[in-house]
Amino acid sequence: MSEKSTSDTHESHGSLSIYLSVFVALCVLTACSFWTYSSLWPSVLDSPYIKRAFMMAVSCTKAMLVILFFMHLKWEANWKWVLTIPAMMMSIFLMLVLIPDVGLRMKHASNERMKYEAEIPAETEEAGETEGTTSQGKH
Amino acid sequence: MNSQHEGHDHHLTLEYQPALPINNGKLFMWLFLSTEIMFFAALIGTYIVLRFGSIEWPSTHDVHLSEPIGAFNTFVLICSSVSIVLAFEAAKVNNARLAKGWMLLTLVLGGLFLGVKGFEYQAKFSHGIYPQHPHSQIYEKADVNYSGAVRLHLDQLKVPLLGKKEKTEEDNLRLSVLDKIGRQLNVAEVALRDHPDSPQGRILILQLADAIYPRASVHAHDGQAVREQQGSQFVSPSKGASPFRLAGNTIDSSVPSSGERQVGATLVNTEHAATGEAGGTGGHLVGLNDQYPWLQLPIMIPGGNMWASTYFLLTGFHALHVIIGLLVFAILCMKTLDCNWSTTIENIGLYWHFVDLVWIFLFPLLYLF
Repeated sequence: MSEKSTSDTHESHGSLSIYLSVFVALCVLTACSFWTYSSLWPSVLDSPYIKRAFMMAVSCTKAMLVILFFMHLKWEANWKWVLTIPAMMMSIFLMLVLIPDVGLRMKHASNERMKYEAEIPAETEEAGETEGTTSQGKH
Repeated sequence: MNSQHEGHDHHLTLEYQPALPINNGKLFMWLFLSTEIMFFAALIGTYIVLRFGSIEWPSTHDVHLSEPIGAFNTFVLICSSVSIVLAFEAAKVNNARLAKGWMLLTLVLGGLFLGVKGFEYQAKFSHGIYPQHPHSQIYEKADVNYSGAVRLHLDQLKVPLLGKKEKTEEDNLRLSVLDKIGRQLNVAEVALRDHPDSPQGRILILQLADAIYPRASVHAHDGQAVREQQGSQFVSPSKGASPFRLAGNTIDSSVPSSGERQVGATLVNTEHAATGEAGGTGGHLVGLNDQYPWLQLPIMIPGGNMWASTYFLLTGFHALHVIIGLLVFAILCMKTLDCNWSTTIENIGLYWHFVDLVWIFLFPLLYLF
């Protein structure tokens, strides 16, 4: 059907040199996220929050490179927005529906939950002695 | 009416105007990928909530995850993304041989990714880290449930050995090891029973758990890890000692002497001394389960069950996508990949890049966070 139009849109892009430079960029970026794990990471920035933000930024950059160049979205016509924007909105909504869980789980743990957090139910042993010494973390 | 007659007379030709200037295959691949984006967005979002909302989460080395292996797998997937896009470019200019070459390379790289993943899974399984019972050996706390499970397991190992008429040297060795661990377990449980209000008993069970499965996060940084926690203080271990000790607490005279308490610890720590503090297999500390692979005792990893569930779910779904991609590559490798196949290769390429994309996010989330 639209075989012709597709081949038209694919004419003038995607040379080997572009793919190779994207490949090199992806490898360098992977090394960058691995850098946070290595001991070469500067001690000034040695905070898990900075590291995580940095890794996510690196991942988003990598994702953009793959989408733009390998998936050819950079060279596609305007139809790309018809598909990507609704999908993006849906994923953002999916993230938003997690907000109540984020609020309820991340900042607060009730005594009830601390007590029963992923604990093997007591069946044969006496209860009451089972408060662990290891799993108290956040409050 | 008139126009209808005219239409019949002049054979009006209808022109087909596609809504989107792409072929159906590509349109549906993109629609499918949109649903996939939502699927993985939900999975990853849930993982983030569970991971940062949980009270305890094991460090990567606690659960035998290796960052270099994860980085290598990322590299392999990036390479395969390049090779599939080059297969598409070759097919577009009708170079079937070259296209097939790149396609085969993609197949091999995808297989390599799966192989490495399988190797990683094996490392978890061999330590009793499974997402679910009955295989999972993970306990969240060093409490009476844990000590009960260890006792049950010790008995299950012991009974067939005791029943044997003629014991080999190996059997006797195993029995002595089981007895030593059993003695330490007795000491801990007696302390827990006699002094339920003192942390002593729990610390003894904690020491036993540490001897069975030493967690890297506790022993980290050449034994200088100091973790202050409620009720007990994890002090830095002197070489050859367990990190779990009762800080600033006079030990009750009826509680057995420290010499007996350290049975399990000394069992392992001779090995620690031999391999160095950070030594052991692949940078991991050697516990009783590693020293005696036939033991397979229950292990204590706080947050380990939730970790295992999320890790196996996320990587499992990703691996499923990889397998499906590999099946299509295998089928395509049997065809002559000339320009007639270029749209098919483009579509499966889009899918494969998406699989790569998911891994780009999974790698830092699972291995480096």
